[in-house]
Amino acid sequence: MLRALLLIAALAAAPVVHAQGTIKIAVLGPMAFVQGQHHWMGAEMARDEINKAGGIAVGGRKMMLELVRADTNEILSVPDASSAVERVITRDKVDYIVGGFRTEAVLAMQEVAMDHKKLFLGVGAAHDELGMRVERDHNRYKYWFRVSPTKATDLGRTIFGVLGAVAGSIRTELKAETPKVAIVAEKAVWTEGLVKAAQANLPKMKMEVVGLWQPSAVATDVTAELSAIERAGADIVFTFVSGPVGIALGRQMGERNMKAVAFGINVEAQKDEFWGAAAGKANFVSTLDTYSEIEITPKTIAWVRAFRDRFKVSPAYTAATYDAIMLIRTAIEQAKSTKSDDLVPVLEKISYVGNGAVIEFDKRHDPIWGPGKAMGIGVQWQDGKKVAFWPPQVKGVQPFRLPSR
Amino acid sequence: MYRLRRLWVQLRTEVLVLPSRALVLAWALVLLALPLAYTDAYVLRILTLMCLFAIFAASWDLLAGYSGQVNFGHALFFGAGAYASALLTLKLGMPPWLTVFAGTAVAALLGVAVGALCLRLRGSYLSLATLAFPLIAIGLLFAFPDFSGGELGFSGLPRLINGVVPNYYLAVVTMLVLVFSLWLLADSKFGLVLHAIRDDEVAARASGINTPRYKVMVFAIAAACAGLAGGLLAHYMRVTGPFTLETALSFQVVIWGIFGGVATIYGPVVAVFILYPVTEWFGGFQAFGERRLLLFGVIVLLVLLYMPRGLAPWVRDRIETLCPRCKQRSAAWKSHCRHCSAALAPTDRPRASGPGQA
Repeated sequence: MLRALLLIAALAAAPVVHAQGTIKIAVLGPMAFVQGQHHWMGAEMARDEINKAGGIAVGGRKMMLELVRADTNEILSVPDASSAVERVITRDKVDYIVGGFRTEAVLAMQEVAMDHKKLFLGVGAAHDELGMRVERDHNRYKYWFRVSPTKATDLGRTIFGVLGAVAGSIRTELKAETPKVAIVAEKAVWTEGLVKAAQANLPKMKMEVVGLWQPSAVATDVTAELSAIERAGADIVFTFVSGPVGIALGRQMGERNMKAVAFGINVEAQKDEFWGAAAGKANFVSTLDTYSEIEITPKTIAWVRAFRDRFKVSPAYTAATYDAIMLIRTAIEQAKSTKSDDLVPVLEKISYVGNGAVIEFDKRHDPIWGPGKAMGIGVQWQDGKKVAFWPPQVKGVQPFRLPSR
Repeated sequence: MYRLRRLWVQLRTEVLVLPSRALVLAWALVLLALPLAYTDAYVLRILTLMCLFAIFAASWDLLAGYSGQVNFGHALFFGAGAYASALLTLKLGMPPWLTVFAGTAVAALLGVAVGALCLRLRGSYLSLATLAFPLIAIGLLFAFPDFSGGELGFSGLPRLINGVVPNYYLAVVTMLVLVFSLWLLADSKFGLVLHAIRDDEVAARASGINTPRYKVMVFAIAAACAGLAGGLLAHYMRVTGPFTLETALSFQVVIWGIFGGVATIYGPVVAVFILYPVTEWFGGFQAFGERRLLLFGVIVLLVLLYMPRGLAPWVRDRIETLCPRCKQRSAAWKSHCRHCSAALAPTDRPRASGPGQA
């Protein structure tokens, strides 16, 4: 009888032994803005998937994952953002941090996380400086890793790579050896470096810059700019726009039946609502993006579909918190430890197949850029659908289309 | 022993007799003693930031509340202190203890420049002109990114002192010393002149007061205090950037000033110590997190609706009474004035009112 009772007690205790403890990860972002909301959505998907599978294996036991949502208010206040990091570390006792968006704020947030020697996987801020700090002072900043996007310099490499492909289409289809490019960049600090790079690089890429137009980021009418661009005979409208001007640009190019095609960075065009906002007239508008239903990696298509089914929107690039959390899980399972110090060397050597890239880190703890690694994609609006057209070797991409002439 | 006894007598007759001063003393003692009992890093961080913003808010009050030079671009001085300190530390390798004071001096010089440029402007024209200065400064930062760090500013600044508690004490002591000094200044003859300038500058000039000199001086003093706060914040957070010059920060300090009560010095400090932790506290709740700015706005509106002269004067009016004869204040529950023994009738007691009733 006693033996039977002991056996029952041992069996009852067994699951407890294998599922004890919790790993806490803070998801930091501007939660009142779309970037923060996608931070949280991506993290929720990762948490549910991990917990459904029984948790994270740490040595011989399984630990469940708990998320702490923290609004950094970073778009409005940098001190608020750094206080949010202090709060999640000292109050909520989180083990790791993912997220961050505005570089100016993330620099301050990074300091607090490094003071506490907490692993901080950045998802959102692109500035090179974040990684350069790791290179300059590895001992202090080694807990920082950037998961997405690629650093600003690499974003530039991608955009000129895609532009080269677009120019190739024009050379082939229109027999124009030196495509004419009109640069349209909103008046903002972030566009200045890109404009300079474009003006310097395009002639080397056998393209002619016919002019630079700089409307306001919130302009609702760009008729004057588009008239001048038409008169200049541009084949490509190379865009650097993040504000609502991106919608006006797409709509009015369609209304004018312009022969030029728009490509570049158009943040509004990355959103699902863009086609409707542009009154269905933004055909052929293209932009850089992060996710689409193409086989960037073997996981991409299924994940993007699952994301859309759950949240009824396409994932923005800050939804890469999913990959960040999965990276942490993989590192914990490989290191058999939850200590940030133990995870750093594992992450430095990791090769992780994520949803938007194969992630390997360089000495600055930035994702290595290149085909088959982290690059980003080019998407184009074609008859109401956002389709991926670049990188060309990826399964599922569709041909880039030009307006009929 | 004699000095201790004298201090106790002064405390008893000058501070403890007035509820508002007793409250301030208790608050200062709690701030100084807090780390002995409570060392939560997050709470100490928030309090450290509050102390630095309290200096900033009090400096605005000296300028706008006392002299009537309502500055809508006070962040200029805060940012100037932060940037000057950061630049001197990173580019010239100067020790941060020195650069913070150098930043203060740069901010004071800017104060002199802005004050001199705005001498002929009054009222809303002055406010709008001052609003332009931080915008010009941001434009200059972006125009010379190699020198100014551009949109990112500077990071990796050395801390003045290491550790949560030492940083806390640095901020608290600096704040207490500066706010008390500003209060003394506002209560001095200098403060009286500022009152006169605010109420009727022509009359003040007709009385022989060199009003331009006073106006430039008050700009310089307020700018120096704001610059010191900015420099301390930059080294505490180890970063500085355009956020120290943003228009939102300039308006934040106006809100603190009006919420707490202008022309009091301690009013804006009270506002910072209420509004900053409240919004931070809301941020800790998922339900409030993204709505905290809305809640912040509702609180400010309610206070201004029911306490139009600000929170601190409203509270002071309820715990103290003004003597109808000698115009000195006594505790509200006293039946006779503590100075002239005039009867303080509870029914027709005039409230302690008007700016500068310190």
